[in-house]
Amino acid sequence: MDQRIEELLPLYALDALTDEEKDLVETYLREHPEARQQIEEMENAVSALPYGVPPVEPSPRSKEALMARVAADQRATSSTPKQASRPRVMRLGNIFQAFSMGVAIVAIVWAVILNTQLSQLRNEVSTLRNAIVAQANSLEQINQSVDQINAKLPQATPSAVMTISLQGTDVQPQAQGQLIADPNSQSAVLVIVGLTPLEAGRTYQVWLIQGDVPVSAGLLKVDVNGQGVLVVTSEAAIGSFDALGISVEPEEGSPQPTGDIVVLSALQ
Amino acid sequence: MLKLLKSNGSKQNATGVSMRMNSESSLLHSHDGMAVEQLSDEVLAAQVARGESSALETLYDRYASTVLGISLKIIGDRAAAEDVLQETFWRVWRSAATYQSQRGSFAGWLFKIARNLAIDAYRRRNIRPRPIADVDDNDSKLDQTPDPNMDVARQSQELLKHNQVLSALATLPRVQRQVIEMAYFYGMTRQEIAEATGEALGTIHTRARLALQKLREELERDKFEG
Repeated sequence: MDQRIEELLPLYALDALTDEEKDLVETYLREHPEARQQIEEMENAVSALPYGVPPVEPSPRSKEALMARVAADQRATSSTPKQASRPRVMRLGNIFQAFSMGVAIVAIVWAVILNTQLSQLRNEVSTLRNAIVAQANSLEQINQSVDQINAKLPQATPSAVMTISLQGTDVQPQAQGQLIADPNSQSAVLVIVGLTPLEAGRTYQVWLIQGDVPVSAGLLKVDVNGQGVLVVTSEAAIGSFDALGISVEPEEGSPQPTGDIVVLSALQ
Repeated sequence: MLKLLKSNGSKQNATGVSMRMNSESSLLHSHDGMAVEQLSDEVLAAQVARGESSALETLYDRYASTVLGISLKIIGDRAAAEDVLQETFWRVWRSAATYQSQRGSFAGWLFKIARNLAIDAYRRRNIRPRPIADVDDNDSKLDQTPDPNMDVARQSQELLKHNQVLSALATLPRVQRQVIEMAYFYGMTRQEIAEATGEALGTIHTRARLALQKLREELERDKFEG
């Protein structure tokens, strides 16, 4: 074991070595399989780092441009072998024959390509048709759901659904979530991640806060990964509240917050 | 306004509130299970190596937002980051045959391509080295929330992974986290890190080793699936 090289392994995994140092490490890894195991474990940790950066939805144009480039590459690749097989020197008497054969081959290849493309297009049309049917079904289901909701809430005026970001307090800064709500309705969907699972006999309780007054909006259960979903309900419209909070309470809940406030975000 | 809660002894979260119109597209966007979407990264990579563009498209849908996140944070320019995103998957298309699953995960291989391209792009655009002040906690590349424009289903998954990694990183001492950020997101060598921090090379080695060890333990404990 070479202590000097072993010290470089974490920096190798982080790609923080010069080219010469990388060569040294790679030579060492070839000769020491046990070090290879170490480096793989470190590289696994390093490969998680990108998830620490917030993901960003790309522009649809990026995907279109990429796939167009790929399609062009596929077409170019499929035509390359013909050029490569072209003979360098031909006698005059064979030129016509070769030309005729070439034309015939090109025609056959072209026909095969066209046939393949036609088949692909048929498949795409079939797929698109299925997708349209599926979307139409989804739309129909959504419309039915909307009709049912409208029937139950005839007094509600049309308004926009809003997504409100929620953030953990210093008690649990890793907690994050979203409240999806129509401000005029009396219910909303709360999705939360990153909460610490609680010991037995304790629960999270959600509060809608109007001025200084917190109103219980339900008990929130989280799984072992700290994720939870709750349909928050209230007697008043969600939009009339100033903030949402989540506190730690006894498992039966409390009439007022008594424990640590782990999430607190303004709603307006 | 929040007097009652404040008086309870807990610190108030100063984070602002972001509200936005929720596009109806999230309702209409169908994710009905196509078989190809269930395939593992490694199987899809093998299909890409055979020239199947649909496999590339699936991998793109799976990882584009993370790749763009890395690129944007390294370069700091949206257009250049989108170029890196395209180039990353173009490299996957052209060199998927060189990917060896026994050497590591596909995601790790992909992210390495993206990171290297982004760092190269950053260096081409910025001749001077980045000032060290950029690497302190006030400009951390690891503590922001995901793009709210992502669709809800994928956002939940991304948010979960994001939180797991942030939680793991939060367990590291600041100096160890700083070494990781400088090396991974700023492409600095160990000598450059030592120079920038004023620490001995041996200290940088120790911090890097302890940081990766702790990070791995925390992610394993949290059953992180990258």
